[in-house]
Amino acid sequence: MQRRTFLQLVGAGSAALAARPLFAATQKAPADQFFIFVHASGGWDVTLWADPRNEKKGLVDPASTENTDLAPLSHWKSTKLEGDVETFTILEAGALRFGPGIGDLIDLHDRLTVVNGLAMNTVSHPDGTAFSCTGRHLAGGRSPASSIDVAITNELGTAQLLPDVAIGFPSAYIGDHLDRRAIPLRIANAGVMAKSLARSDAYLKDDDRAAITALLAEESHDLAGRSVFPETFERLASQEESLPHLLGNELKAAFTPQALQAAYPQFDYKVKNIGGGILGAAFAVEAMKRNLIRTIGFSLGGLDTHNQNYKQQAHTQQELFGTISTLVKLLDATPHPTRNGHKLADSTHILVFSDFCRTPQINLSGGRDHYPNNSVLVISPRFVSGKTFGKTDFEQVLPADAGLNFSDGARPIAPPDLLATFLSAFAIEPRKYLRDGEVVKAMLR
Amino acid sequence: MKLAALVVLVGCGAGAITPSQTTALPAHQTRMIDTTPKERRRMVSPEVYLRAYLTWFGGLVPLDVQNRARPKGLFDAWDDYLSALGLPDYKTDLPRQTQSNTLMLATLGRLGEALCARAAEHDLHGGKTPLDQRVVFAFDLDGADSDETFMDRFDVLHRTFLGYPAKLAPGERVTKFHALWTDVAARHAKAKNPLTADETAWVAVCTALVQHPEAELY
Repeated sequence: MQRRTFLQLVGAGSAALAARPLFAATQKAPADQFFIFVHASGGWDVTLWADPRNEKKGLVDPASTENTDLAPLSHWKSTKLEGDVETFTILEAGALRFGPGIGDLIDLHDRLTVVNGLAMNTVSHPDGTAFSCTGRHLAGGRSPASSIDVAITNELGTAQLLPDVAIGFPSAYIGDHLDRRAIPLRIANAGVMAKSLARSDAYLKDDDRAAITALLAEESHDLAGRSVFPETFERLASQEESLPHLLGNELKAAFTPQALQAAYPQFDYKVKNIGGGILGAAFAVEAMKRNLIRTIGFSLGGLDTHNQNYKQQAHTQQELFGTISTLVKLLDATPHPTRNGHKLADSTHILVFSDFCRTPQINLSGGRDHYPNNSVLVISPRFVSGKTFGKTDFEQVLPADAGLNFSDGARPIAPPDLLATFLSAFAIEPRKYLRDGEVVKAMLR
Repeated sequence: MKLAALVVLVGCGAGAITPSQTTALPAHQTRMIDTTPKERRRMVSPEVYLRAYLTWFGGLVPLDVQNRARPKGLFDAWDDYLSALGLPDYKTDLPRQTQSNTLMLATLGRLGEALCARAAEHDLHGGKTPLDQRVVFAFDLDGADSDETFMDRFDVLHRTFLGYPAKLAPGERVTKFHALWTDVAARHAKAKNPLTADETAWVAVCTALVQHPEAELY
């Protein structure tokens, strides 16, 4: 081989390597996956579930018979704390350790991925919520980046009729580079969907409405053709075009609260503490079964326990994780709409997060306040399950070195790392959506 | 003496003053005014849109609208739609929505249809409401239907909802709306309906105009 030919070959090879993105997609992004994001709003006490503490050490005042209402708890096993006061026994489930708040979800422990010691750097509800689902802190009260559900919808879900539904979920659609169909449908509760779609047949009929929306879509296209900035008109046109599918009678009837409760009696809709968000879980299963959505986010609340209401924190968590457990079992039993022989659970990825966690010490009002640490739960066939990642120090419950060899040195996991890992699991380039964050390959299968 | 004074006066009289010739000022640099839009159109904020709705339909307060629109399942309660309309919902900590979505259009459509149907009942049905007391349909349905009569009536609605005469609208808007009117009227010719076929067709035209992109964007 001549020297010149050799140098040309080496040069071409180097150029090809240099052009390869750092997070090169290793496999084609799947188009038949579903994503559920659950916001446990208010800030949960991680010492009651993912990062259990049952000893008085350092700042830690563990949950005890003095500060917790034990009556409704199904997984509290008492052990002596001091004097007559008792605390809980830590529940061992494979490699995972839980407090009593985990409730029935402990039965599915081999499918759970737990991330502890997330560095939140905030104790503000809106900021913690935004940081958890966008990887960025708020700027001037607004989210500077899109949330994880929007990013995934933009990559994998724009062809769906309802690509991204956010039921009380803090979705954010930011930037001009995203597909307009990824704009989340934000509603306060699942019942609103049916009410917005409901139409009286007393005057106009569905045929008339179809003619009206067709006319409006045509007008939007026409105005887009004459406009210097056609994007807004084009967006309206695409939304008008999808409206007749939504206004079909079958869909309206399926999404009423009564229909959802009748179809999924497995959920306990009468639970006291986590609010009406459970209907969102039923909506998620129904919408996935009909292949209408790609991502759905909903909120389950009641965790902001600053005062004596801390007595219910463990019970609230039990209701929260009980709902997640029921949801997973329903997904196990429901056929996938497009993959023969598969169940929804095979292709559904769930991320459960909260604003932040609560202080290790009990305050003078008998509650726990905001604390800049957090835990996250992932249930996904793409993640290594039955394992905990990240950790906190024992005495202060603050984020500690996760031992994951991050490129910027020893540090805890932060929300951007988790979001980057989540996107990477589906061959989505994280840098397209996240300014920060490093993929934790150890979490992925 | 008098004669001498007269001669002196005539001799000293001022000559007639004539204006100088006018000439055009020398040309300066010409600068064109750039009237192209610098920003893309945006949705009007939900408050503005709702205020416009309430004004168009007779200056009602929201509770009156709710009461008027509710019968026959046309509407529910404002509380049910706050988030879907894009308004912030402080009860559930939902911020204001900055982009339209399909559900928002569906909700605006539901509201528009309800108010148009109620307005048609008040203004058109029975033909007893004097023109100056009508809230939206300020025209009579008497006489034969023709392109001209449609144009005149459509112009009333076009000016109400979009703010300018229909003949200035771009494209074939009048033709398209006339086709919608004809289509709906034909479909309801034999249907049992609280309104006549013509009145129902005007409800359809009103419902389309109230959701028109030019009404929703600025």
